[in-house]
Amino acid sequence: MTIDLENINVILATDCGSTTTKAILIEKIDGQYRQTYRGEAPTTVEKPFANVTIGVTNAVTEVGELAGRKLTNEDGTINQPAQGDDGCDLYISTSSAGGGLQMMVAGVIAEMTAASAKRAALGAGAIVMDVISTNDKRRPHEQIQRIRELRPDMILISGGTDGGTTEKVVQLAELIAPAKPQPRFGSEYEMPIIFAGNKMAASEVELALQEDWIDLAIVENLRPKLEQENLGPARDKIHDVFLEHVMAHAPGYDMLMDWADAPIMPTPGAVGDILQTIAKKENINVVGVDIGGATTDVFSVFEGTFNRTVSANLGMSYSISNVCAEATMPNVLRWVHFDMDERQLRNRVKNKMIRPTTIPQSLESLIFEQAVAREALRLAYIQHKEFATTLKGVQQQRTVGDTFSQQTGGNTIVNNMTLNLLVASGGVLSHAPNMNQTAMMLVDSFEPEGCTDLAKDSIFMMPHLGVLSAVHPEAASQVFERDCLVYLGTCIAAKGLGKEGKLCFNWTLSGDVNASGTCNFGDLELIDMTPDQTATILCDPVRGFDLGAGNGKKVSHEVRGGTVGLIIDGRGRPLGLPEDRQQCQMSMKTWVENMALYEEIDVAVATA
Amino acid sequence: MKKSHTFYIGVFVSLAYSGVASALSFETLPEPPTNLVVIDTPDDAGNSVELDWALSGTDIFNPLNENASDTDPSAIVSTYSIERKISDANGSELDEADSNWQKVSEAGAGESHWTDRTVERGWTYDYRICSVGNQGDSSIWCDAEPVTPVMQMFNMSKVWLAIFMLIFGGFIAYYINYARSGKPLWVRKIAGLEAIDEAVGRATEMGRPVLFVIGIQDINEIQTLAGLTVLSRVAKTAAEYGAQIEVPTCRSLVMAAARETVEAAYLAAGAPDAYQPDRIHYLTDEQFAFVAGVTGYMVREEPAACIYMGGFYAESLILAETGNHIGAIQVAGTAMPSQLPFFVASCDYTLIGEEFFAASAYLSGDPLQIGSLKGQDYGKFFSVLILVAGIFIASIISLSHSEEGLAVDSLNYIKNNMLGSEGLGSFGGGDTDIEGDDS
Amino acid sequence: MAHAYTPGLKVTNRMKHSAVRMLPIKGDVMVKVGDSVVADQIVAATYMPGDVYPLNMANLLAVPPKDVLSLMMYKEGHKVEKGEPIAETPGIFGKFKKKYNSPYVGTIETVSDVTGQVILRGPDIPVEVKAYITGTVTDVNPEIGCTVESDVAFIQGIFGIGGETCGTIKFAVESSDETLTASSITSDMKGCVVIGGARITDDSIEEARKVGAVALIGGGMDDQDLKEFLGYDLGVAITGSEKKGITVIVTEGFGDIAMANRTFNLLKRFEGHEASVNGATQIRAGVMRPEIIIPIESGDSEVEKEHEGGYLEIGKSLRIIRDPYFGIIGTVKALPSEPHVLGSGSKARVLEVELKTGESVIVPRANVELIEE
Repeated sequence: MTIDLENINVILATDCGSTTTKAILIEKIDGQYRQTYRGEAPTTVEKPFANVTIGVTNAVTEVGELAGRKLTNEDGTINQPAQGDDGCDLYISTSSAGGGLQMMVAGVIAEMTAASAKRAALGAGAIVMDVISTNDKRRPHEQIQRIRELRPDMILISGGTDGGTTEKVVQLAELIAPAKPQPRFGSEYEMPIIFAGNKMAASEVELALQEDWIDLAIVENLRPKLEQENLGPARDKIHDVFLEHVMAHAPGYDMLMDWADAPIMPTPGAVGDILQTIAKKENINVVGVDIGGATTDVFSVFEGTFNRTVSANLGMSYSISNVCAEATMPNVLRWVHFDMDERQLRNRVKNKMIRPTTIPQSLESLIFEQAVAREALRLAYIQHKEFATTLKGVQQQRTVGDTFSQQTGGNTIVNNMTLNLLVASGGVLSHAPNMNQTAMMLVDSFEPEGCTDLAKDSIFMMPHLGVLSAVHPEAASQVFERDCLVYLGTCIAAKGLGKEGKLCFNWTLSGDVNASGTCNFGDLELIDMTPDQTATILCDPVRGFDLGAGNGKKVSHEVRGGTVGLIIDGRGRPLGLPEDRQQCQMSMKTWVENMALYEEIDVAVATA
Repeated sequence: MKKSHTFYIGVFVSLAYSGVASALSFETLPEPPTNLVVIDTPDDAGNSVELDWALSGTDIFNPLNENASDTDPSAIVSTYSIERKISDANGSELDEADSNWQKVSEAGAGESHWTDRTVERGWTYDYRICSVGNQGDSSIWCDAEPVTPVMQMFNMSKVWLAIFMLIFGGFIAYYINYARSGKPLWVRKIAGLEAIDEAVGRATEMGRPVLFVIGIQDINEIQTLAGLTVLSRVAKTAAEYGAQIEVPTCRSLVMAAARETVEAAYLAAGAPDAYQPDRIHYLTDEQFAFVAGVTGYMVREEPAACIYMGGFYAESLILAETGNHIGAIQVAGTAMPSQLPFFVASCDYTLIGEEFFAASAYLSGDPLQIGSLKGQDYGKFFSVLILVAGIFIASIISLSHSEEGLAVDSLNYIKNNMLGSEGLGSFGGGDTDIEGDDS
Repeated sequence: MAHAYTPGLKVTNRMKHSAVRMLPIKGDVMVKVGDSVVADQIVAATYMPGDVYPLNMANLLAVPPKDVLSLMMYKEGHKVEKGEPIAETPGIFGKFKKKYNSPYVGTIETVSDVTGQVILRGPDIPVEVKAYITGTVTDVNPEIGCTVESDVAFIQGIFGIGGETCGTIKFAVESSDETLTASSITSDMKGCVVIGGARITDDSIEEARKVGAVALIGGGMDDQDLKEFLGYDLGVAITGSEKKGITVIVTEGFGDIAMANRTFNLLKRFEGHEASVNGATQIRAGVMRPEIIIPIESGDSEVEKEHEGGYLEIGKSLRIIRDPYFGIIGTVKALPSEPHVLGSGSKARVLEVELKTGESVIVPRANVELIEE
């Protein structure tokens, strides 16, 4: 497909999520690409519609109405190319509807090649249903049984370093062949299997998987050496196969693929692409989060290493009940600064679960929903930290100095102190009526340390831009810089614990804003800084607190303002709230007031 | 109290005699010893008595005798004569001679102590002592209170030892019971053991064997036995992962033991068919021939994981360096202090000394072993506390240059009573009045 | 004009419904195409291999593994009873024999002289698949299952607990907004599908279970009651496998909410009929809703027109489905197109709803669903 990039003035992008389909319009204004209008509609993959394009048409129609532009034809198709004030030049789309891309992965050792395979699958935007490995403590017949029960869209097999074990890899293949997993899309579907293991074993694996219902693809080993991970080829292949096989079988997707000018990508994969691009361009460590209705995705790029996790049962609508069950009600309620009736809350949580599209109308229910979001994010980040680790099975280099501090491999690479940018997206975060609320949800659940910039994806545009960057990098980067990220501000937080009210650190701010002050343990302060202001903050922590330079050491950071401002957080890390309910409410109340989170708490009932 | 009582009487008696002696000093008789104190030996079975006296004024070895060189030669004390009589035989038949004064011993000039080990438990004895000049003249007698040796049930000088034993034993018993009751006991993760899964996993992924060396000592050495426990774990992991394990040994008996260990581990892992006894083999008893054999194997087969657990000597660095060279993950464990630095420097993980033995308890998961491991840890912690307290007090004393006070008393108490043999005693030491310390 | 959200719950008085009845493993199908079946008739059955109990006999008897085979009192394949001795040590001179009694009922499957392990397999577990709905067999998949088809009145609930069951529809309440309490449950409801109006209370569930009702249908229930009933806090909404002895279905949501009149009236019309009920719910991609299926005779009721989800239009009846007005029914009064600032501070498109009391309130469009009176 050749696209004349010069003549593209109007770009339409959609993202078919599991509950809503979001459409955005990008227009060239004075030679610059800007995002102009957006619209959304419920996704229509499930019965009774069972055709994703209905939702797409609805969302696009809404954009069209807002833009005063006729983007859809009478039959519901996208009006292409642009003619005068109607239609668009380029149409692209991502998708996570219908459960997204569901995969099963297999590897020899759970912590080594199988973990790498899982990383590759997650990085490509898939949901990993199960990981089969030789040391997963299941006997072969149990593994076969499990493979049979799962209904994956795709299977990824890895295992062995190049020149390493052949026997174990072929054994994995021999498990899958007799299991004959049933795909979700009917029996005529050819099960795509990607082999990304020991290249010496490829021919034998091919032999073992010679079945007419299998479509085998062989790519480079994703772990050529134990010391090295090479996920790129496997990830790309997953994308290709996703389009060829999975998309083609989902209801309405054949039509959608016809409409789109670029390959449809799984939503999380597209988000991962754009985050990696930022991290590389700016040379920073980034964590991104997308909290959805059913799942929460956490992306991180630390020292150039990309990781993604999907917390399948942490979300704000379908999974809200599970968040409350997993985090427990008292943990959720500690973020609420007034009393709530638990019996009623429970009903509300369940009602949100069975009617996922409703939005909080009263302030009270908004506060509660944001409390749930904090717990969902916190739990998702814990899962992410456990997964984003250094490689296992690697030889360690030691000196005599390490005698008493021998560290094992496989430690988490997530380090909140070196984190530079935290990007939020997903309904509850990006649609919060007040950005201060978004910032506080991020700070409370991710507990950034030192100096961290907070930003949000204004209208969850990252997936759209991820795809766009593959087609039209210029447009993608222009829109990303101008319209995608909304900087909320910077969070300065001390790591360490102390006694409430005792000095934590002194700070002096100089630059566009000049100020100074002291921060006591348990304090939370907000300093106004507009998005165009930057300043240098010099922090002098007392012993026991670290702001980036080490315990008790002075440090200065460049900070930028934002719609929220500069947050000075002396609540300590790890963040602990008072156990006592009354005290906790008091603390929360002070913080809520200092951060100007909820303006009028009395307006519990909307007035017409 | 009894002691001080005797003391006063002694002083009185000696003063009286010395008064008489000086009055009658036509000839120069040696001055008598004074202050004879006889006590039952504490903390014994009741078969000895301790005698202490103050040296005579004409004893030239008496440090109080300031002008020893001017002493009248005829009055110089050459020996002290000690006599005894039995005043109550506790109902037993008694020789006539024993109930009269009888010389039982002689102490040389300058000696002020004698232990009578010929006494009978329960009998009452009287003692007296006089000095004998070099002319054979005896001074007048110095008497003492009668004494009855008795047996003590407890050796009170070892009370602190008993207390420590009880505390240590208590810790161990408590934690064994705790472990038996099924409650989990937290044992620090030993990085070296955690790494075994990683090492074996690496071998599996790379399709290479795991090399295990149990040291070069024989089966009777504790380190070899600990090495076998770790081998059992490694073999089980290897069986689960499907990795090949290679165990060359330096002693024939060790080979037999290793085979049984590995076979049992494969059985436990449910893979008895994968067990290959030929892989566990005897090389040679010769230290360096063994090393040559093992390093040769390493260079040829390039195992992905090398594990050294046992007693090692000069071969430690040769093995570990070769292993490092072939790029294997290496885990070592030994209690040989001189070899530890080599292992630490060239291996990925090292179990250091005690850790190596603790690993065996940790691996077995047996409540008895884990409980006593935990109990011992607390015992050690307790000892360290006393040590730290002692160091702290001693530092205060040396910094403040004080010679008395609470700190000095505490230090003396720790030194003499808790760690020494003065038993419980009283705080502040000996006869010193505790209340005096407040000033 | 905008699409209004409807949860897509089907409530119809006549449709063709086919239920696929399958065995988890291969077995016997007892019906053939064209057979008429009733709901509780078994259409397919098989035996599942029983549970496996490994016994480490070498350790239990303190003998080397290789001796175990000779010490076993029975050969492989022998059936043993619980408490029956299965192995015995030779003892010393015939004395001090040590016996090991089987802890389970089962068959000795294998005896290993390598590990000393004896595998005991429990008795086969019979697996029976019932017809579930009264109707006609239209398809048979040999050894696996069959399809039963029937003309039915069909009602989907929004959330349920418990699996398939069937019974006679019986009402415990007079009107659709009546709360179901324990006092309304009577002993003649044994084996019945009991219909409540609005909220189902936990004591009514308990009472219904006691009298032996097979299912309880109501408008709503409190989550707290659900937690107490289940014994745990339900997280992921995948239900159906609970073994509580009763199937509970709510048709509208959680809290005190009246059953939709349409649903209530439909059920009322079929009072005394047999109904097949399944509480299995799965709220996520591949959504599954609990269902109430009432097989009907031809001519019992007319086939309805398929009605669309519909659009929000002034005058349409709707229900508010989010606090603070949760469960309240009203009509569309106005549809302002401009986004409106809500009490929570966020902006959203709203509509004005006229309540039955005559009062009118503003609610976000996302928080209403259309209903049919």
